[in-house]
Amino acid sequence: MKYKILKVIDVSGLTFLTPVVRLCYGEEPQKQWREIARFIGAPLVAFVVFLGLWTVLAPKHRTKSGEVPTPAVVLESANDIWKFHLRENAKEHAYSMTGEERQAQLAEAQERLAKLPPYEAAAAKKVAEANEARAAAVTAALEPLQQQYDERQAEIAAAQAARESDLLKQAAGLESASVDEKQAYLAAVASHLAAVDDERDELQELKGQQTEVRSQPFAPLAAALRTQTKIAEEKQFLTKLIEQLDRANRAQKATRQVASLRDQQKQFLASSGEDAYALAKSIDKSKRRIETTAESTYAKPYTLPMQIWRSVLCVFVGFLIGTAIAVPIGVCCGLSKTAMAALTPFIALFKPVSPIVWLPLALIIVGGFIPDPDKNPLIQWMENLPFIGWMQINPAFIASAITVALCSLWATMTNTALGVASIDKDHLNVARVLQLGFWERLFKIIIPSALPLIFAGLRISLGVGWMVLIAAELLSSSEGIGKFVWDQFNNGASDSFAKMMVVVFVVGAIGLLLDRIMIVLQRMVSFEGSVAAI
Amino acid sequence: MASPDDRFVEIFRLIKAYPNPYGEPAVVVDGFNLIMRRGEVVSVIGHSGCGKSTVLTMVAGLNSITQGSVAIAGREVEGAGPDRAVVFQSPCLLPWMTAYQNVLLGVKQVYPHGSKQQRREICEHYLAEVGLADAMHRYPREMSGGMQQRVGIARAIALKPQMLLLDEPFGRLDSLTRMELQDVILRILDRERITTLVITHDVDEALYMSDRVCMMTTGPRAKVGQMLDLPFARPRDRKEVLEHFLYYELRGCLVSFLEQQDKRTFKTVAVPSGTDHTIEAMSETRSDFRAWRHEASDLIAGAADAASTATVELMAGKN
Repeated sequence: MKYKILKVIDVSGLTFLTPVVRLCYGEEPQKQWREIARFIGAPLVAFVVFLGLWTVLAPKHRTKSGEVPTPAVVLESANDIWKFHLRENAKEHAYSMTGEERQAQLAEAQERLAKLPPYEAAAAKKVAEANEARAAAVTAALEPLQQQYDERQAEIAAAQAARESDLLKQAAGLESASVDEKQAYLAAVASHLAAVDDERDELQELKGQQTEVRSQPFAPLAAALRTQTKIAEEKQFLTKLIEQLDRANRAQKATRQVASLRDQQKQFLASSGEDAYALAKSIDKSKRRIETTAESTYAKPYTLPMQIWRSVLCVFVGFLIGTAIAVPIGVCCGLSKTAMAALTPFIALFKPVSPIVWLPLALIIVGGFIPDPDKNPLIQWMENLPFIGWMQINPAFIASAITVALCSLWATMTNTALGVASIDKDHLNVARVLQLGFWERLFKIIIPSALPLIFAGLRISLGVGWMVLIAAELLSSSEGIGKFVWDQFNNGASDSFAKMMVVVFVVGAIGLLLDRIMIVLQRMVSFEGSVAAI
Repeated sequence: MASPDDRFVEIFRLIKAYPNPYGEPAVVVDGFNLIMRRGEVVSVIGHSGCGKSTVLTMVAGLNSITQGSVAIAGREVEGAGPDRAVVFQSPCLLPWMTAYQNVLLGVKQVYPHGSKQQRREICEHYLAEVGLADAMHRYPREMSGGMQQRVGIARAIALKPQMLLLDEPFGRLDSLTRMELQDVILRILDRERITTLVITHDVDEALYMSDRVCMMTTGPRAKVGQMLDLPFARPRDRKEVLEHFLYYELRGCLVSFLEQQDKRTFKTVAVPSGTDHTIEAMSETRSDFRAWRHEASDLIAGAADAASTATVELMAGKN
């Protein structure tokens, strides 16, 4: 059992758990504790230091989009994002609810909504109090500053008037003065004007101090406002939920529509002439509307978790396209020096091309193939697929996937070529003695022996693909993580900054996970049972 | 003319020369002659680097032949093929396949029309033969060097080859395993009567395993120095061989030949001759390889003691 666990840990690359397992089995406790301190303790300490530095340094830098968020704010944003996702799910669910379940939900939602007003009032009161407190604090802080400003202003005005009258006096006798004296007078006027400028600046600075005090963040007020926003959001959600459960609910809509159809039919039976024609037309329209209603779903906006799934699917589609191109070409290059010579310039030429260049091209080309997504059979077919149908695969998605493929396939291609070319001569000799045919040699000897290197390439490709994808989505507006970041950037709400930081961690974590998966696969195909580099 | 079985394998004036851009081609093997009876085991012994393995790889078809020919059962062979199975020095198993799959890969090639069941039986039979009945579904990395070499042997024998080529098959094994595997091979050879060429640098191994020992001169320009017929009966018994009254004399003969080769400088060619076993070594001293190549065809036509390519072709035609 112990060795099984250790082996699983080893294969999955989570070697930092090894000492924990060994410790649990009581093997050399001292050594294990040392290992734990090194491989778990040290990273934890580093992480805590990182969080600490972040917390201290973040508020020191103020930007147009507000303060750089601290870890606590980022965590709260993550929470908000999740909450938004849950709420949208609830609304979607509510839309298609029927019967008693709907009634129960509706009652519950209304009850919750009814409980809100006192909280709302309390929050409003708190905000008002905080506003007052802040106003008092600001006034208190401003008073001495204003006083200082007034005093200084009076001083300066007096000084300026004195200097001016002095200069005027000098000017009176200037006609008969010598050239030197005239020169001196010019200098005196210049210095007077410079002094006036300086004094104006000084006063402005004093004013600036007041503005500073006014714009100083006031923590209790911010907290009160946050609470108020939270309650407002909850209220809005509950109102919308009730709407989805009640008036906008699919079943309710259908009932209403059927009732109106019945009315129309009754009227139709009793009518004749032009009326009858008009009624017949509206009966047909109503029937169609009922059909559409039956098929309709809640128009749910994309939430970050959905966007993440879509991004992951996109990177895998791109990765598969890339692999399907890279591996065969790599094998050809590895097998034939001529093919290698023929393709090396292309590889060298296209490898450094940035995703930013590929994407517009891919968009145009895909757009050329799919001018009207709503009528394209491929797109229609994909919309009806289980699991991925809801992701609404569109040309932008395909273009992003192709960009991922184009940027990521090079690592796989070169690694495959290397793996095939560097196959053990002895293994080829075996193939020659057995007179294996081309395909047998390829599938029984060459590809298995190149697999570890191919997988090393695939791992790099997937990593590159993931990085490229975010940029591609950002540009192509294909719903995904990149789109989320772009939307936040353009949105400029007070929590946008924090949400973008949440994305940093999400992207990192998913990239790490993909890499781990590839490592495990790589180890599984590595026939030597050797531990690949991490 | 002798029966075809007496000249089952004919290796005639095998030459291996590597082109050298700055001078004469480097001649590694210079006229290797050997005729083997059907079912005979011949060891080729010589110092390391003398070209023994080159000879074997040329016979196996894994290394191109510069000049000369190899014929089996009167047919000149070209390229590699399963009729000449090779056991390599390193086991050369495909590491992504189990022992069984490694053997099966060859069996599939040799018995293309056999049913799955038949192929399985063949594989299992030969794996059991080399003592791996219990380990046939293990991967090479899960086996010791000796076990891996057993799989290599099973893979070669399962091809039902006309000729078996062993390229220092035990060179990387410890002496206990080596002795075990020698017996495994001898037992199989006694039963299957496969004509076998063993490359070795171990005097005792050569004496124990073979019917004749072919001693090669030290390269470059290596060739057969001496042939030694061994009087030991088959099937072999290690004790019997070791206690044979001629054993130490024969051993001394081999050792002294090798020692002599050791002292030989590259320029002077001193091949001891005079025994019945000596194949006429090529006596022409050829300093200019290219010049010699022009007269090579005449030489081959004039060679009296071995079958000329013409007769090889004739015999092939007869068959």
